[in-house]
Amino acid sequence: MSRDATGEPTRVSLQGIDKTFVPGRPVLRRVDFEIARAEIHALLGENGAGKSTLMNVLIGLIEPDAGSMRIDGRPVDFGHFAPSDAADAGIAMVHQHPTLVAAMTVEENMCFGDRRGGARFDPAAASSRLRTLVERYGLEVPIGGRVDTLSVGQRQRAEILRALDRGAKLLILDEPTAALTPGETEALFPALRRLRDEGCSIVFISHKLAEVEALADRVSVLRRGERVATLAVAELDARELGRLMLGRDLPGVARRVAPVAVEPRPVFCLRDVWTTGPRDGSSLEALELELRAGEIFGVAGIDGNGQRELEEMLAGVRPLSHGVIEVAGTPVEPGVTSLRSHGVSLLSGDRERAGLVAGFRLWENWALKCSRDGPPYFPNGLLAAVAARRDVGTAIERFAISPSDPDAEAGTLSGGNAQKLAVARELSGSPRVLVAVNPTRGLDVGSANFVHEQLLALRDRGGAVLLISTELDEILALSDRVGVLARGRLHGLSVGADRAEIGAAMLGGRAA
Amino acid sequence: MEALIEASLRLALPLLLAALGELIVEKGGVINIGTEGMMLCGAFAGFAVGAATGSATAGLAGACAASAAMGAVFAFFAVVRRSDQVVVGTAINLLSLGLTGLLARAFYQGAIPTGPTLADVAIPGLSAIPGIGRVLFQQNLLVYIAVGSTALLAFALGRTRPGLKLRAVGESARAADAQGVDVVRTRVVAIVSGSVLAGLAGASLSLAQSNTFTEGMTAGRGFIALTIVIFGRWRPVGVLMAALFFGAASALQHRLQARGAAVPYQFSLMLPYLLTLLVLAIASGRSVAPGDLGKVYSREVR
Amino acid sequence: MRPLPGVPAFVVDVVRSLLAVLAAALVAGAVIALLGYPPVEALRALLGGALGSGAALTATLLKFAPLLLTGLAVSLCFRCGVWNIGAEGQLYAGALLATILATKLMPSAPGWIAVPALVAASALGGALWASIAAALRAGRGVSEVISTILLNFIALQLVSLAVHGPLQEVSGAYPQSDALTAAFRLPAIGRLHMGIPLAVLLAGASSWLLFRTAIGFRMRAVGLSPTAARFAGIEPDRQLMSTLALAGAMAGIAGGVEVAGVTGRLFESLSPGYGYTAIAVALLARLHPLAVIPAAFLFAVLEAGGAAMQRGAGVPSVATDVLKGVVILLSIGMALGRQRSRGRETGALGAIGETV
Repeated sequence: MSRDATGEPTRVSLQGIDKTFVPGRPVLRRVDFEIARAEIHALLGENGAGKSTLMNVLIGLIEPDAGSMRIDGRPVDFGHFAPSDAADAGIAMVHQHPTLVAAMTVEENMCFGDRRGGARFDPAAASSRLRTLVERYGLEVPIGGRVDTLSVGQRQRAEILRALDRGAKLLILDEPTAALTPGETEALFPALRRLRDEGCSIVFISHKLAEVEALADRVSVLRRGERVATLAVAELDARELGRLMLGRDLPGVARRVAPVAVEPRPVFCLRDVWTTGPRDGSSLEALELELRAGEIFGVAGIDGNGQRELEEMLAGVRPLSHGVIEVAGTPVEPGVTSLRSHGVSLLSGDRERAGLVAGFRLWENWALKCSRDGPPYFPNGLLAAVAARRDVGTAIERFAISPSDPDAEAGTLSGGNAQKLAVARELSGSPRVLVAVNPTRGLDVGSANFVHEQLLALRDRGGAVLLISTELDEILALSDRVGVLARGRLHGLSVGADRAEIGAAMLGGRAA
Repeated sequence: MEALIEASLRLALPLLLAALGELIVEKGGVINIGTEGMMLCGAFAGFAVGAATGSATAGLAGACAASAAMGAVFAFFAVVRRSDQVVVGTAINLLSLGLTGLLARAFYQGAIPTGPTLADVAIPGLSAIPGIGRVLFQQNLLVYIAVGSTALLAFALGRTRPGLKLRAVGESARAADAQGVDVVRTRVVAIVSGSVLAGLAGASLSLAQSNTFTEGMTAGRGFIALTIVIFGRWRPVGVLMAALFFGAASALQHRLQARGAAVPYQFSLMLPYLLTLLVLAIASGRSVAPGDLGKVYSREVR
Repeated sequence: MRPLPGVPAFVVDVVRSLLAVLAAALVAGAVIALLGYPPVEALRALLGGALGSGAALTATLLKFAPLLLTGLAVSLCFRCGVWNIGAEGQLYAGALLATILATKLMPSAPGWIAVPALVAASALGGALWASIAAALRAGRGVSEVISTILLNFIALQLVSLAVHGPLQEVSGAYPQSDALTAAFRLPAIGRLHMGIPLAVLLAGASSWLLFRTAIGFRMRAVGLSPTAARFAGIEPDRQLMSTLALAGAMAGIAGGVEVAGVTGRLFESLSPGYGYTAIAVALLARLHPLAVIPAAFLFAVLEAGGAAMQRGAGVPSVATDVLKGVVILLSIGMALGRQRSRGRETGALGAIGETV
């Protein structure tokens, strides 16, 4: 049995893992990763650093191109390592979005993939097993409840309990606190520590330094597919960790500190806006917002607090149940077409929400947001392909989009290039206002910087930017003023608010 | 009255068998528009084997084998090759119509013989109950298979692990996959079992309701089965009730027709489709259809 | 099968479709040979019966028109992510309304208005019938797959009801309508009626609409990615309504053309399943309106030649159904990956029973 540096026996060891999906762009490069028995091991890394791919290798969903794995010292044959084999080896993953079957009860979910025991399913026996687990770990879950009646936190706990019922010895938690209330987070941590003390290993994927410090024993950092460090949590230094994650100090974007000639009259306003969201806490309530020309107004907040609903309402996809949108003092109907005609552009970090059709050519996507009859691309209801090709060609050149063929299908574009196309389209025709929702989600640092520069350039030209983002760093780096969206309400903050203040507002909203 | 119940049961039998087959497949997240074609295959193979061997029971075995083969074709294209399920089902219907017609003419050259008829099996004791005894407990084997399958399916879906697995695959293939359930295998097994039931439904037409085969003799019953599953809200007992309801409606219609009532027969032929359309249009509330119904599952698409 | 680099996509598509047809012919030929029929003779009889003489070619072209029109209806819908299995019902609805107009509403209309009115009525009938499915989908979330299938059967029974009742010929001899007056019959050269060039014209128009106009642009956007289209300001429900109405109109015209150009009357088995064969036609054409022309012609050859094959080589004409089924399976089986990019991750039945 192999032993690692701390003298504990190793639960799982990965050696030299390589994985490439798109030729020339490896996702994992020679990654070594060890998880000890009875430890909580935090895994840090930017979006796209390879965390999920590495974990999917562990749970048998992805077969690596090269490398080896040992579980409890025994080598694993990747050719014959299916998710069921990982489960049999006691490896279980709790995804960020729990993968329970919504139309079934917790007990049914607990049992359908369980290959021990016979073919019978006894609901009463399953319930009593669940009750025992609930009591033992203090993870509260309603007995006999259908999953679609459960809260996000309850679903996550149910999934952890299911893994424990299956005898999991290695639990992988993917950003487990991202969707939890502070109270739920507080309740989760002691349960995880108790699990560790009983000998269970836990991989904890997180972005939150405080949580890593509070919970983990060791930290590993992935950067662009490589493991760059593994540290004991005691040696932790926040700056150093940030440098390791990004490969350099936090990227600074050149920007003028003071906004240019901010006009006193707002150019874009939301007045007493209400919409109904699908989940508790995601409905917008009495939203008030004033955006002035020449400023970037940043709206911070945790996912699920109304950001999607605000975006959908503006795009005309979700009805505005009450309130008014004003552009330069004129009330305007929500919807892409109506807002565009008043000089308001919408930009999203999600390809589909950004209005990019994967099966359309670049020039067709360029024309897509003007698809109502009329110039420039649909004079008399006819498609003016020449004009669209010409204009997208100009944009391709200016923004160095690759592939540079206007006839390429948008689906063949990388995330960064797709986002460049979306940015170019939204900035064409010099909008007065740009609403950007998580505009750099999933992008590499270079592409993200590009997007940031464009937002700042628009501001410097006298445009107004509403930046709605769950990335606090992005908000802080770009915004002239900051607000926080929490439980569907917008909280304005004083100029120069710091992280602690913003964090409190973010969490304050979530507290029940 | 007794005759009416008997006629209802007789008319409901092929619908029930086919709908149970469709239910199994749909519970696994696959929609099988090809039920009609699989029934035709069962009807023909059942008749052909029955006529050749002189044994209706052997005919049933032939029906099972033929429809299972069709099911395997469907499963290969719709699940393994991940083609569109609706389109594959349409192809299965055309293929079955052509194959059975071609084989019938090639075998019998236009002179279709008389085949065996499935004998009624009396359940000792129960069949002696006056009034309903004979109607309910002296029936052919397929009636007992149909009722037995309903009960078995109801039990299996709620109280066995294979049943839970099937439901999980149909509700969320991804969630099932993450739990180590083999989505492709589960769906293939479901499709083949469902096809066998569809084949038996076809055999009930050529071996029980009549003792002959005619081209296209299923006459749209496979599509009614599709609507019965919706009508029965994807539950075995619901499907049983819906099939009996449609059976009774047709029986009543025949009765009225025989008495020279003024209601045109087209109304009764239209009724199941109209009712289903109305139910779909009017009913509201939470969806009860399997969540992943009709969706192609491929692990890479995430 | 990955497209080869350097080869235009449409060439790959054409080759794939030809391969599908060839392979299907081999499969069907093998089945025929296994059953003891002479396959080569069967093929010769089939081709001879469909193309061998002027009369044969005429018969083929008469089948070509409805197959082309229904094939267009299906391909327009499939391309826009609408799973319309109801071309058959829409065809009957068009034929029904056209017959009502010609025999009941304005039986003595003069020639110059009669034919245009009849074509318009058949288009309207098909469009209205298809719009029921569109309304159920948009308003109540009912899957169009299920509703169009149901509507097929309902349309058939409605026609049956009509020709047994209010529309039955005055003599009451057969369950069929009165013959259309000469004014309503489509202008024709011999038996080749005006519906045939009209269908080809509509194929060109469909292609133009799909690829050259804003309407077609929006329809394609919704078909490829409903979410992206919505966030680009396009309302999928409106596109669904107009696509289905348009497709219904095409299939409806097929019905009207059959009545006014071929049969002269409405009766129960007007269509030998054109609306279902149309699915094979559309898939073989890879949903491109112009490619539907050769695909429809091929299936017309099968329809028309099938009877000749039965007469000449003794091979039952139903063998052509086997061929159709295999063509569909092979066309989609070979198109793996291509289909996926058509926004099908959501599944045809994304909305099935959503409100049940």
